[in-house]
Amino acid sequence: MSNGHLVKIEDARKNYGSLAALDGLSLTIEPGQFMVLLGPSGSGKSTLIRSLAGIEKFDAGSIFLDENQVNRGPVNVAPEKRNLAMVFQDYALWPHLSAFENIEYALQRRKLPKDISKQKVNAALNRVGLSSKGKNYPHELSGGEQQRVALARAIVADPALLLFDEPLSNLDADLRERLRIEISTLTREIGATALYITHDQSEAFALADRIGVINHGKLEQVDLPEVIYERPINRFVANFTGIAGTFTGQVKQVLKASCIVALGEDQLEVRHTVGLEVGQSVDVLIRPAATSFQNESENRIGAEITDIAYRGRGYEHAITTKYGTLTGVFDTRSHARGGTISVSIDPDRCIAFRSETK
Amino acid sequence: MQKVEPSRDSFSSRALLFVRTKISPMTLFWLVIISILVLPIILFLAVAFSPKLLDQGPEWFTFNSFKAAADPYFLQSIWHSFVMGVVSSLLATAIALGVAWIVLRTNSAARKVWSLAIFALLLAPSYLIALGWERIFERAGVLNIAGIDLPFIRDLLYGPVGIAMILTFKGIPFAYLVISNAMRGLGEEFEQAVRVHGGSRIAAFKMMSTLLLPALWSGIAIVFAESISDFGVASQLSSPGRYSVATFTLYRSVMSLPVSFPLCAAISIILLMLIILALFAQSRALRGRSFRVLSGRTRPITRKKLSKTGAFSANTAIYGLLFVTLGIPVFGAISASMIQGLGTVLANYQFNFDNYFRVIKSPLLRAPLLFSAEAALITATVAVILAAISSRLLVSTKNGLGKKFLDFFLLAAVGLPGIVFAIGYIFAYNLPLAQKYGFHLYGTVTLLVLAYIATALPSTTRSLVGNMNQFQESLSEACRVHGSNGIKTWLTVVLPLISRPLLAAWCLTYCGTLLELPVSQILFPPGHAPLAVGIDHALGNYDFGGGTAMEVFAIISALLVVAVAFGLYEKLAPIGWKQLGRARS
Repeated sequence: MSNGHLVKIEDARKNYGSLAALDGLSLTIEPGQFMVLLGPSGSGKSTLIRSLAGIEKFDAGSIFLDENQVNRGPVNVAPEKRNLAMVFQDYALWPHLSAFENIEYALQRRKLPKDISKQKVNAALNRVGLSSKGKNYPHELSGGEQQRVALARAIVADPALLLFDEPLSNLDADLRERLRIEISTLTREIGATALYITHDQSEAFALADRIGVINHGKLEQVDLPEVIYERPINRFVANFTGIAGTFTGQVKQVLKASCIVALGEDQLEVRHTVGLEVGQSVDVLIRPAATSFQNESENRIGAEITDIAYRGRGYEHAITTKYGTLTGVFDTRSHARGGTISVSIDPDRCIAFRSETK
Repeated sequence: MQKVEPSRDSFSSRALLFVRTKISPMTLFWLVIISILVLPIILFLAVAFSPKLLDQGPEWFTFNSFKAAADPYFLQSIWHSFVMGVVSSLLATAIALGVAWIVLRTNSAARKVWSLAIFALLLAPSYLIALGWERIFERAGVLNIAGIDLPFIRDLLYGPVGIAMILTFKGIPFAYLVISNAMRGLGEEFEQAVRVHGGSRIAAFKMMSTLLLPALWSGIAIVFAESISDFGVASQLSSPGRYSVATFTLYRSVMSLPVSFPLCAAISIILLMLIILALFAQSRALRGRSFRVLSGRTRPITRKKLSKTGAFSANTAIYGLLFVTLGIPVFGAISASMIQGLGTVLANYQFNFDNYFRVIKSPLLRAPLLFSAEAALITATVAVILAAISSRLLVSTKNGLGKKFLDFFLLAAVGLPGIVFAIGYIFAYNLPLAQKYGFHLYGTVTLLVLAYIATALPSTTRSLVGNMNQFQESLSEACRVHGSNGIKTWLTVVLPLISRPLLAAWCLTYCGTLLELPVSQILFPPGHAPLAVGIDHALGNYDFGGGTAMEVFAIISALLVVAVAFGLYEKLAPIGWKQLGRARS
């Protein structure tokens, strides 16, 4: 059974002057669930997580942790009484305390006997691979080690809710990947509900049980990662969760779950969104995973290789077609720059939306 | 599993809000601020517009006092004060920046001497520094006795150059404390970033100065306000015939009969406007910027190893500065305390320690020192607590009404000369209304200490603002989300992180209060003469030796207190506290 809070946010609103940071946002996170909020800078995700922590207050709207409303009018349950912990973007390690003391601090609220407390801190240090660094002060630790201490501090008291405020954004790619795995496993081990905010879609898909895509203070879509990726509800969600490129064309024929889109001389079969009609102008958003250099499909167009990037398990190519550029086209072998090639498009992984260009 | 607090119904929410409003620590803080700072200032300033309100004239509302203040004599003295404020604040801040760099960023041998001497300089009231210079260069002064007469320097001393010089000397430690505290929190990565991107040493210094801008502006604002409201230098070097400044003309107005309190209030308001203009300029220059650079990721700096020429220049600069700011005044004070009859026709110029033995033996000379030490201890402790809260409020990102209100009154208190601030206290606490509600504070030690706290609060707060500006908000937010309430957050994180600046502020306030003159003179209760009043009485009774010996004792005792305070800090404070802002050798 999960130890986590059931988190409910209802109709949250928050303005900074004339700017609406949160605009009627509602969200439910089940106990023990790892929810990732994905959105661009200024979309309201930081305001949401800080309000949930109790550091900021909504102008209107409610927060329930389990059955308890923690904000009502001017009365706000203090952060320390919400039984949560948070990992900050800048780590927020107290520079006058050692790594051990930083972690021990978060355990004080449990009022444990000294020896048990010490055991727990050592266990937390051990869990994040820093058992030999307990006496070090923050400035004596690397960035990755500092973030590990912050993670240990967050989990040591077994909180019911863990909040992550873009914790990996200051780290290099390799460290980010390793710490991502640690965050994922440790959070699930302690059974806490987790809310993680990021603008990095790969981080979101790797971590989440469920993803919420947020924009302009509103939730655009909340669902399983697979659904968000495969069935984005609108153009913003599709765009923000990763596309190889966009082509503009006209609907030639509407089928049951797909449609045929004419792109100049070529035509592509793509999955359609609701309400498309023949003759309508559409934007076709193509996922990187939809593209391939294999020739087994008839759904393909000609292209020129403009760039190659080696990715260890193979190569990612940037290609230019008559209708636009596609990036992240993967193949296990490289194709020379400037060469012409035919690229196959998987109809199920590209989506047609009504065109925004007139 | 620990659960979140149960929700409250609307009734209990209201009740909780009511209780919080009634008894929260912040409510208590505001009550104290209003009582010791706001009411006395408002009541005194109101006299300028409404003399009848406080029985100082027949009119309920009038600008007559401002018309009187527009007299060319007053206007000229106000202009002189402004010029002195600008010159001394810019000079003091520029010198303090250079000194801070030498002391904190280089291996100059003089840095250790400076770190000790700074408190002596802070401790010395401006009138003592001025007196020391006078004693050397005056007619029948020390140089005269040695057969040297320098009338040119004497003429400069008793004029704008002398006043600006002493005000600059007095301003340097204030600016230095603010800048050095900010510089301690500034890791060297910013300078390194300039150098690796092609910047010269000068470019790196410029970058550091930019990051220090909040502290530099604070330094300028503090020194400007201190200079404009200073009375000590004015009382020694200003005169109507030569170069009169506003506090001197104000003093003459208060001392001449009949006293025109509305006129004094009007002049004070004009001085206040000057300071507000300076602060407005500060705010415009910064345009709301503050650089939050103190965090868990800040790395200690490495001291620059100076070349032989560099070390010689740095040491000469520091020792030269110490000579003119401290050496000459100290020599003046010590010579006066040891030479019998200096400057009189009966002079025999004998050197002995008789005056010091008299201070130790005579209760009349000893009691003021002990009384002031006790009052300074209480004042410094309370003022630092209030200043820590005030500075945190002032740097808060929330631009609320309370912040603006506090900012204004702290500035107003800086701008008000001590002597008129003390008169404001008499007005506020001697009013029939205060008596009716049981505030029988007039003529008590309590009122004197409250006035000390109120006068110390503005500069103590300003000295902490630079550090608070560097304090990253996420550090205290992390405390709250990890289980600490507001008070525990303060005790376990905020205070430790600013513990060294707090200690410096405490020492500064202690030293300032020990020799405080204007408030002491106006508000001292019978039988409890503070040190400055005791010295004044001794000098008034032509006991120059006893008076100056008391000064020397006071300075030595204050230095001892500072040494003990820092010694205890180094001995008792946890390692984590001490390593903050410490440079690697």
